[in-house]
Amino acid sequence: MEPLIEEAELSRTPASTDPMTAAAGDHEKKVTTRRKSPTQIALARLRKDKVAVICASIFIFFVLIAIFAPLLAKLEGQSPTEYHQDLIDQYGYPTIAPNSEHWFGVEPRLGRDLFARFVYGARPSLIVAGSVTIITTVIGVVVGLLAGFVGGWLDRIISWVIDFVLSLPYLLFAIAVPAVLLSVFVGTSEDVAADDVASARFYSLIIVLSFFGWASLARLIRGEVLSLREREFVSAAKVLGVPTHKILFKELLPNLVAPIVISVSMALPTYIVTEAGLTYLGVGLTEPTPSWGLTIAAAQNFYRVDPLYLWIPVAAITILVLALSLLGDSIRDAFDPRTRR
Amino acid sequence: MLLYILKRVLSAISVVIVTLVASFALFFLAPTDPAGVICGPRCTPERVADIEASLSLDQPPLVQIGQYMKGIVVGRDYEAGGTTQHCEAPCLGYSYTLGQPVTKLLAAALPVTVSIVIGGAVVYLIVGVLAGTIAAQVRGTTLDKGVVGTTLFVQSIPYFVVALLVALYATFLPDSGYHPFFDNPLTWASGLLAAWLCVGLTNAAAYTRYSRASMIETLGQDFVRTATSKGISRRRVVYRHGLRAGLTPVVTIFGIDLAFQLTGAIFTESIFGLPGLGQLTLRAFGQYDLPVLLGGVLVGSVVLVVMNLVVDIAYTFLDPRVRLG
Repeated sequence: MEPLIEEAELSRTPASTDPMTAAAGDHEKKVTTRRKSPTQIALARLRKDKVAVICASIFIFFVLIAIFAPLLAKLEGQSPTEYHQDLIDQYGYPTIAPNSEHWFGVEPRLGRDLFARFVYGARPSLIVAGSVTIITTVIGVVVGLLAGFVGGWLDRIISWVIDFVLSLPYLLFAIAVPAVLLSVFVGTSEDVAADDVASARFYSLIIVLSFFGWASLARLIRGEVLSLREREFVSAAKVLGVPTHKILFKELLPNLVAPIVISVSMALPTYIVTEAGLTYLGVGLTEPTPSWGLTIAAAQNFYRVDPLYLWIPVAAITILVLALSLLGDSIRDAFDPRTRR
Repeated sequence: MLLYILKRVLSAISVVIVTLVASFALFFLAPTDPAGVICGPRCTPERVADIEASLSLDQPPLVQIGQYMKGIVVGRDYEAGGTTQHCEAPCLGYSYTLGQPVTKLLAAALPVTVSIVIGGAVVYLIVGVLAGTIAAQVRGTTLDKGVVGTTLFVQSIPYFVVALLVALYATFLPDSGYHPFFDNPLTWASGLLAAWLCVGLTNAAAYTRYSRASMIETLGQDFVRTATSKGISRRRVVYRHGLRAGLTPVVTIFGIDLAFQLTGAIFTESIFGLPGLGQLTLRAFGQYDLPVLLGGVLVGSVVLVVMNLVVDIAYTFLDPRVRLG
């Protein structure tokens, strides 16, 4: 068994100066530290984990880029959609190297500024992944709580739906469903404005990823609730006449913080990769949205003549996802002592 | 035991039927205008009505689903411009843009996907299990930490980025492309080599971790100590006695993984230009080719459900505790 409180934390607790309790010595120290909630203990562990701190900083760095994208582009003096045909030669290749005006150079063919497209490209990645993570977590937790706690026919139906969703070929659906959603949102005619298609693609991507994402968390939460609901504190709350919704959200939910936090930290990088991957395949986001997946897809044809064009989004997405995954690993270790290496 | 298998089979069938009805409803009842897609940009209203009648798109939805199901079981006739075309028993309709039966397109695509997945599986099973077993034996050393660190790193990099970079820069590998195995096994293998290495080496990370964890647990058990104390060589203890017990959980994960890879080799196929199931669906997406999309999704679902069923049933033979559940 892991000790509940780490020794370093014990020694850091200042000795009591109160003469009445000082006599109690060691015992008193333990009492003060035990008041920490499991979440606080986990956060303290995370703060000491160097990898976690570095990865979190990288993540925050990308979030800041996304938030301040307009400001950064203005600082450079360029916009992500403006064409610079004068900087493109007759074969479509850019005639300039990165300089003080175009920090990362310009795109072949259209001549749009690459730095501006890079900073704006952080936005759809984080917005899609962030909103899908939030939606799936909320649905997964609520559905899992209900199935586990209420039981009976509701549980049977929900469990069947969970099994059903988990047994669908998710990538094939992720390609097929947006085709249908698109026709519902904007129709199939050729003369639809590019902006309408782009925003329809954006929402259908979020819908599809959310539809397939909630089930695994719901299954996990259901399992946890099944074992938690037999515990004494739940029986006590029931006997005291606490209404069901309060038992669910005030008694059970705090005990589910660890699995939820772990699941969120694992989901975020997965959805960033999925968004970029589907966009790269041409079934996710579409022009004129600036997106790293789109840039990678366009840049693969120019990888020899213009390697920077390809490598900036490739490096950005790899670093972001790597940092988030390693952070997720650290978070899991911090919240679940059994998996610590 | 028999009851358990029967229950699992029934639930698998229910999943397939619901998938079929739900995806049919989703694809054909949405305002997707398939007749317009077939007809092209220069089209008359009469021609559209004609096409709709030949595909029974003018019928009520329930009749349409009924006809589609009937087509799968006994085949179906299509009447177009006076001529009748018979579509044989597992009939999934005709591609709007290619004019070929969907089943024929799927039958051409499946061997490609299966080739990629099986070849990749051979690579990641060998590399992963070997690396995991070695790491488990030297647990705690620098080598072990290096292996674990590497797997963590490899697992965290987006797969499509790895595949793309390999496809672009690893020019020393033979050119990618699909050549049927029965024409010439050598060109088949060389055309798929890059894809196999990509799938294999990235997935090997997960299998290294599974088998490492499993072997650490197994090597700490009593029967391993007994075998060692009988004087059997270390190598024999690990690879004969330990590996056999340690691999059971890995095999279970492998079964489920294999099914998902069969339906998710899209990135590999599209980056290495291999015309598999994913590529077929991807092309159909670009052209609103609904019968092909629906066919791809259905075949994927059936593969997934059947594989899960096989794994579940196989597990009841391996682990008697499951039968009670």
